[in-house]
Amino acid sequence: MKQLISALVLTTALVLPTAHAAEPATVGKAAPDFTLKDESGKTHKLSDYRGKTVVLEWTNPECPFVVRHYKAKTMTRTHAPFASKDVVWLAIDSTSHNTPQKSSAWKKKEGFKYPVLQDASGKVGRAYGAKTTPHMYVIDKDGVLRFAGGIDDDPRGRSKSPNNFVTAALTAVVDGKTPAQQHSTPYGCTVKYAAEGS
Amino acid sequence: MLGSRLRHERWSAKGFALLLLWAGAAGAVEGPVIPGAIDGGVPRVEASLVADVDRAAPGVPFTLGVRFQMPEGWHIYWKHPGETGLSTEVAFEVPGLQVGSLRWPFPETFRSPDGFITSYGYGGEVILFSEATLTPGAAADSVPLQATANVLVCEVDCIPADLELTLAIPVGAEAVPDAALRERLESFAPRVPLSLERAGLAVRFEPADAADAGLLRGSVLLTRTSGSAPLEVTKDFFAPERFEGFTGVKLTPEGEGRFTFEGRLSPDGLPQSPEVVGALRLGSGADAQFVELVFAIAGGTADGEDTAAAATASGRSPGAQETEGGIGWGWALLLSFLGGALLNLMPCVFPVLALKAYGFTRMVQEGQGRVGGHAVAYTAGILASMLVLALAVIGIRAAGHGVGWGFQFQEPLFVAAVCGLLIAFCLNLFGVFDVSLGGEARLAELVDARQGRWKSAGEGVLAVVLATPCSAPMLGTAVGFALASGPAMTLASFLALGLGLAAPFCLLVMIPGLARRLPKPGAWMQHFKTVLGFALLGTTLWLVWVMGGLVGVDGMGRLLAFLLVIALAAWLFGLFQYANARRTRILAALGAVLVIGLSGMQLLRFEVPEAGADPALSTSLKDGKRVWSEEAVQAVLAEGRPAFVDLTADWCLTCKFNERTVLASDDVREAFERHDVAFFVGDFTRRDPAIAALLAKHQKAGVPLYLLYDPARPGTPEVLPEALTPSIIRGALERLTPSSG
Repeated sequence: MKQLISALVLTTALVLPTAHAAEPATVGKAAPDFTLKDESGKTHKLSDYRGKTVVLEWTNPECPFVVRHYKAKTMTRTHAPFASKDVVWLAIDSTSHNTPQKSSAWKKKEGFKYPVLQDASGKVGRAYGAKTTPHMYVIDKDGVLRFAGGIDDDPRGRSKSPNNFVTAALTAVVDGKTPAQQHSTPYGCTVKYAAEGS
Repeated sequence: MLGSRLRHERWSAKGFALLLLWAGAAGAVEGPVIPGAIDGGVPRVEASLVADVDRAAPGVPFTLGVRFQMPEGWHIYWKHPGETGLSTEVAFEVPGLQVGSLRWPFPETFRSPDGFITSYGYGGEVILFSEATLTPGAAADSVPLQATANVLVCEVDCIPADLELTLAIPVGAEAVPDAALRERLESFAPRVPLSLERAGLAVRFEPADAADAGLLRGSVLLTRTSGSAPLEVTKDFFAPERFEGFTGVKLTPEGEGRFTFEGRLSPDGLPQSPEVVGALRLGSGADAQFVELVFAIAGGTADGEDTAAAATASGRSPGAQETEGGIGWGWALLLSFLGGALLNLMPCVFPVLALKAYGFTRMVQEGQGRVGGHAVAYTAGILASMLVLALAVIGIRAAGHGVGWGFQFQEPLFVAAVCGLLIAFCLNLFGVFDVSLGGEARLAELVDARQGRWKSAGEGVLAVVLATPCSAPMLGTAVGFALASGPAMTLASFLALGLGLAAPFCLLVMIPGLARRLPKPGAWMQHFKTVLGFALLGTTLWLVWVMGGLVGVDGMGRLLAFLLVIALAAWLFGLFQYANARRTRILAALGAVLVIGLSGMQLLRFEVPEAGADPALSTSLKDGKRVWSEEAVQAVLAEGRPAFVDLTADWCLTCKFNERTVLASDDVREAFERHDVAFFVGDFTRRDPAIAALLAKHQKAGVPLYLLYDPARPGTPEVLPEALTPSIIRGALERLTPSSG
């Protein structure tokens, strides 16, 4: 009898969490936790940043869209007004053939300060459903995903002052509010994932 | 467009000859080929302006296009690039030239190696073209056409390119077509999607319940209004273009002209009138037809409820209005519990309950003992099987199939197994063999013995197995609501059902003195057991008939042969069960199992025909009743006649009961005739995705489902309760909008 009941409880307990683990990152739900090393070897864990707003930027220096944004210093200029408001900016490179040395050299050349997390296996990228470079995510102080999508509404880079969705999202999130626009169409090159299973 | 221009020209033989010379001399009218996206010295795209006339006449339309050529492995993007990339942009800048919208041939689908990221575009060569007309009054001898093309060319890496294209077209009084380029265009022009009207098609969207709050599901149905467009599709048949309110949409083919739609809802919600636009390829190869698919995501509510609010707030798309109204989860659990309790009275489950009660009274009156333990074991058996059932339903629904209550009876092997079990049980009651391990079992022993408790648990499992095809009146609504509310609610609802099922027996145990009120044991108990055996035989008979509906007369015969083998094996087992030598007893047991197993493998091979494939297999339809299909119902409604839909299944006793009593009664039939109601029967004996979708739309878990359609309100039928009475039907018919005819 006791065996039967414990078997029942175990089955239920095992089924429900597994069902949740399979869900990819969804706006309004907890952002998937991860542990990644950056280009200098330092480990970053998302849950360590609880209490701060986190911006994730999927990047690939070989992509013309990323090159254009870095030439215009879009990322640094988006981050700057919020740096004093406890907003952490993390770049993530899920390109399968990327190495920490390449990221390090690129960081030195472009002159930005935030870390470039190494996700060559693509596990974290897939968990977030990152499909383009750049692809932006904004996570609030409690670890809930509040925005996902393209950085602005100007994929061709023609506008002098495009509508920057990350700036709008950060303005709302640091004040504890939900952004007016929680999703925008992401644009860019395909994230060059490693083949599944490798 | 291309052919009609010929009618504007006047030909003379001389002119024709001149044209040939001219064409031969000048070649295709194509501007200089401009390379772009240089990658290590190699251009990854080359573009040029092309026109299908060697000489343009003012006021006479011609085709002007940009031809792109990419090396192997490289591609550019469609007007909606997909999940990555950048749409190709072409801008014609010519004062004095009127250019129509750009035409895009149906794109190829590109996927990243792991299939994670999908995009749409063109590899090899493509011509994107428009209709262009020189404004009359252009005096020049030739017009310098200019265009810029902005593309992104990708293989693994991506390279953007800005191309400046030019083409000088001679102008004259008469246009001179360019045969070579016209031929070139023939490979692209037919692939430009046509509107639905021009393709002779109509489309309809039907929402379904959503599996969870992030998705909106439904069915997209294509029907022909004229012509003979193919309705089958092959791989990569759909390229979505606009889907505001969703982050991604997917169409999965389900059969001719029928698709399942799945849209991931954007956290910003749906717009006021959500619409999905995309390009569709029907058929394949030379007979392929390309259509611009446009359908509105409509909820079908009569009072114009805001689809956006409903979809994002509750995560469920609004279904049709129900006269019973939606129910909260608390009520759903209560209804599940009560439904479970009522199931005990259904002929399927009653024998098990009766046997349990019989065994219990003997226990109580022959000697006290831990009968409470048996009640718990019985309940645990029921709850364990309900858990398995719930997980199975959740799993199958997550995989995308529509299943509800009683779905396992659509599977012939399951029906055969249940029949075998019932026959064995029945023979046990007749005394042909005993279930015990050595020595004559005395019931008093069973009270304390562990195998007694396992037997109780087994009886609980049997009760669930037999209960499922029986649908107690409240069950359909409660379980339907639970299934629509998601996995957690489904689990809770099924467990509440199990508790309800176990409740009467537990009550018997818990209420002191009740057991003593039961009749004292005696010879009558042996007769009672035999009577119950006949009840089980009756249930088996009904299941054999269900099997006939599932797999035909041959399958039915095989099942009967299998049951005969089981009966024989049971008798042989019973004969040697009490032999003195232990070895004989074991051999008897093994022999029985072996014989049953081998014959099972041989006999139990069933092929379930496709739903609707052979109407002769299902119960024959008489009295002018018609086979249900959504199109047939809508056709009848369009004629101004009301329609009654009866969704039933052979294994659903409530359905069959209603059909043979209420629906067949004289005054009901008369009422149907008076109101000129068309009667449709949807047979869910075998799996049928169309019927499953209709059930899901009305938040019902399984059959029966009775719908009355008023031609004045074709999208919102009245849902009649499962416990049907003639007065309910008459009342519903009175509420129909009076017809003018």
